[in-house]
Amino acid sequence: MKLPRSLQGRLLALVTGVVLGVWLVTIAVTWRDASEEIDRLLDSHLAQAAALLVMQQAQMADDDEAPDTPVLHPYAPKVVFQVFHEGRLGLHSANAPAQPMMPPEGKRASGFSTVHIEGNAWRVFAARGLQQDVEVYVGERVDSRRSILLAVMRSAFWPMAVALPVLVLVTWWAVRRGAAPLRDLGRTLSRRDPRALDPVCIARAPQEMQPMLDALNRLFDRIRAVLDAERRFTADAAHELRTPIAAIKAQTQVAMAEDDAVLRTHALSGALDGCNRAVHLVDQLLLLSRLEAGALTESGAVDLRTLAQRVAADIAPRSIARSQQLELDAPEPCRVSGNEVLLVSLIRNLLDNAIRYSPAGARIAVSLSPRNRRVLLRVEDSGPGLSEEERARLGERFFRARGQWQSGSGLGWSIVQRVAGAHGAQLDVSRSPLLGGLRVEVSFAELAVDADRSAGQGSQTGVTGDRGGRE
Amino acid sequence: MRILLVEDDPLLGDGIRAGLRQQGFQVDWVQDGEAAQRELRAQPYAATVLDLGLPRMDGIDVLRSVRRVGVDFPILVLTARDAVPDRVRGLDMGADDYVVKPVDLQELGARLRALVRRSHGRPRERLEAHDVVLDPASRMVYLAGVPVTLSSREFDLLHVLMLNAGRVLSREQIEQHLYSWGQEVESNAVEVHVHRLRSKLGSDMIRTVRGIGYVLPGKPAAAS
Repeated sequence: MKLPRSLQGRLLALVTGVVLGVWLVTIAVTWRDASEEIDRLLDSHLAQAAALLVMQQAQMADDDEAPDTPVLHPYAPKVVFQVFHEGRLGLHSANAPAQPMMPPEGKRASGFSTVHIEGNAWRVFAARGLQQDVEVYVGERVDSRRSILLAVMRSAFWPMAVALPVLVLVTWWAVRRGAAPLRDLGRTLSRRDPRALDPVCIARAPQEMQPMLDALNRLFDRIRAVLDAERRFTADAAHELRTPIAAIKAQTQVAMAEDDAVLRTHALSGALDGCNRAVHLVDQLLLLSRLEAGALTESGAVDLRTLAQRVAADIAPRSIARSQQLELDAPEPCRVSGNEVLLVSLIRNLLDNAIRYSPAGARIAVSLSPRNRRVLLRVEDSGPGLSEEERARLGERFFRARGQWQSGSGLGWSIVQRVAGAHGAQLDVSRSPLLGGLRVEVSFAELAVDADRSAGQGSQTGVTGDRGGRE
Repeated sequence: MRILLVEDDPLLGDGIRAGLRQQGFQVDWVQDGEAAQRELRAQPYAATVLDLGLPRMDGIDVLRSVRRVGVDFPILVLTARDAVPDRVRGLDMGADDYVVKPVDLQELGARLRALVRRSHGRPRERLEAHDVVLDPASRMVYLAGVPVTLSSREFDLLHVLMLNAGRVLSREQIEQHLYSWGQEVESNAVEVHVHRLRSKLGSDMIRTVRGIGYVLPGKPAAAS
């Protein structure tokens, strides 16, 4: 049976169905019990009547008169008796058949039997006198018993049949009343502004609905947090872009108004610097938004040593310009599974931060080494490092350590964290025991030699899907 | 006019400093909040351009603390935050004007001149004394309607004296207004500039108050 989709309809159908079922079973049991009781009761009457007749016949044996007994009761025509005296029909009821109501097999036994006479079934009790000369048959139409049973059942059935529609109506009303909070919730939700994210409150919400409401409100909370973060990020990004744009504008205006060629060139190169910074910021923003959207998921076998060498070579001129000493210590290839573009940006951001936030003449050491089936990338510097509080705030977008007027995008750490997360790598920030400044360690799962080939071929497997898979 | 520029971004600070210099301002530039607070307390600037997002000490804190110690010259807040509550907070904390990045340098200069003018109680930009008219925006000076050619220092000296007409300014005060950091000040520079101004505009234009300094006669801080 297919239940209706409305909760109210379901409850109504279920309650009515169950009541109907119980009711039918009750009727069946009543039927069986009543028919047994009626049989027993009426049988005892037959036996009693037969016994009475036998005794009476013994007293009036010589009397040939056989007066018809009057019909005293509506059921009386359905009850017959025959009294045979020495084989002759003597006393009998008016409606009694002519032949003896004995079983077809002709056994002249006493007791109950069912006899078919003229198409009617009779329940007959046969009794004999002590001298075997008197035979008494008391019979009753079986269908009369059936009609008594039916009358009993009818009296049981009718109130129920009348009660059923009333029961349906009352159940409908009760279910409707009981489900009112659900309808309230539906109405509240449909009336809500689709952008509203404040918690849903239903007055006198039933216990069963509370978990649902709680889950719903938690969902709203989460959505609000996500939306707030997005809104803040967009606003922050716009503000962060304003500064390089303001610089470009100022430098360009200076260049346009400047007659002195040296000063004009200085301003123009400043404008160009500003453009580069804006481009860098936009690149970082795009990378971050792609990372957050789960793009850039192709992954393969990557040698971190090659990447580190490439990035270090790329970035070295900047450290040389600041008289910093940049060293890379990577004695052997370090293969990991990951996305090359993302890993390059991770290494670049780490080195970039080290160079940017270390003073001129500082030492920056990059090392790459396999350790306990993991690959450890370590970047440390002899710069000022970060305080406990600043370390905790690392990775907040656009957070820059206080006291810094280096023009970083403030996004580098967010990118490092997300790339590390996408590769299932552990990120650890501490004070460098070697150089005294900041030490950043990124620990990747090493790519086993036999896994090398499959990882190399499975270039479509998601980076996030590999998380922790080869630990 | 000597301005303090407080901006932590090297490129933007460099650009604003160069642009304001082109417009005849003397610009001192600091890059963090603590230095800004120190300089603002120490020097009489005509006005200040203050960025809010600063290292070491937030711009709003700088604003609040210098206003508390009685620094009363105009402060123009320059920031990337343009939401109305940000602006209201900045102005309530004692800013005189609020400019959102990216700013047009000409507009920034005009706003600074307007702030300085208003801080001296003058609603109009042109300054007049006797038959001399000084226009800070075009950096032109007219004597009886005829343009007079002045050097940058001579113009600044005349501007300071006219802004403070009727008030005696010491040589040190004048030097502080004319020279930004790192500029060599010769011992008799002010005397030389006063002498040249007198020869170009008339000898009774600027009076010497012996042992104190110079004064341009007129009603102090009066709207002309």
